[in-house]
Amino acid sequence: MNHTKFAVWLQLLQMFLKVNILSPSGPASVGFLYEESVGKIMTEEQFVEAVGFSNVLPGSEALKLAMFVGYAAGGIPGVMSALLGAILPPTVLMLLVSAVLQQFQHENWLAGFVAGMSPAVAALIVFVSWELFRVSSRQKIDRRVIFIALLSAFAFWAEIPSPFVLLGAGILGVILFGRRSY
Amino acid sequence: MDHLLQLFLIFIKVNLLSTSGPASVGLLYHEVVGSYVTEAQFVQAVGLSSVLPGSDALQLAMYIGYAVGGIPGGLVALAGSILPPTLIILGVTMVLHRLRREAWLSSFVEGLAPAISVLMLFTAWKIFEKGGSTGWEGWTIGIVSLAAMFLNAPARIVVVVAGILGVYFLS
Repeated sequence: MNHTKFAVWLQLLQMFLKVNILSPSGPASVGFLYEESVGKIMTEEQFVEAVGFSNVLPGSEALKLAMFVGYAAGGIPGVMSALLGAILPPTVLMLLVSAVLQQFQHENWLAGFVAGMSPAVAALIVFVSWELFRVSSRQKIDRRVIFIALLSAFAFWAEIPSPFVLLGAGILGVILFGRRSY
Repeated sequence: MDHLLQLFLIFIKVNLLSTSGPASVGLLYHEVVGSYVTEAQFVQAVGLSSVLPGSDALQLAMYIGYAVGGIPGGLVALAGSILPPTLIILGVTMVLHRLRREAWLSSFVEGLAPAISVLMLFTAWKIFEKGGSTGWEGWTIGIVSLAAMFLNAPARIVVVVAGILGVYFLS
């Protein structure tokens, strides 16, 4: 085994363990990851490219970002150690907490807690939805973005299954936004 | 065994059709609430995953997996969430320079984003409505939470405080 390569993989694993234990959510980990990786294992340009790609491709963006950073630093094995580091902390925590919480499922205070949390969770979703909308329409609100939003609102209201609506919106995006070059 | 496979397929689908972790909440709600988990379990899952450190989307997936099928369920949900982005990344890193010119992919995602935002608004309303607390207490908690988040209050603190208020006023 090549010693320096192995050290890189280990460093990646430690870095992602740290980032994922300390950051509350996927998007929040971007800033943190920047500090940890830029200048040390990848250039600023590579990092920006990684963030761009992880926003464009489907799936959880924090994982994709982790894998791009892992790839830049250590190739395919780097991808695997970054993935492992990003997955391990939430997995262990969540399985532990779910197991504990199932024991309390019929307690009265938990019902109250959930009842109080519902409006806040709804508010959180509205907030994330706004953030997503704002980021996607960039500087100014594009008429085409509004058009897709209104059309999908109508489709959801008409109870068309959501995967179809999302697919349709994506295809509409290809037609409306076209092969714009970046 | 059969429902584990279905769970796996649901998470593959959700992760192929959403652009980011938090955006998967809306689609996931439609796929699992009623058939796999109750409304209350889903709210717990979203609340918990924003409180605990680490990726929200993965925690949400695991909580739902765990509720459906214990530890194996949690692991299956995790695998379903990880597989699509992993395969895509491995593919992309191999054809990185070719994909850069494929503008249609970014147009697809650009079209997806407003639809996901709208879907999330619908989901938020359903969670609020079915949460049971649609009286003035519920509206107050919701509006104050929203205002707090627009003022950059950390979501995890907002969610915990709302839960504690619930224990006192709604149980």
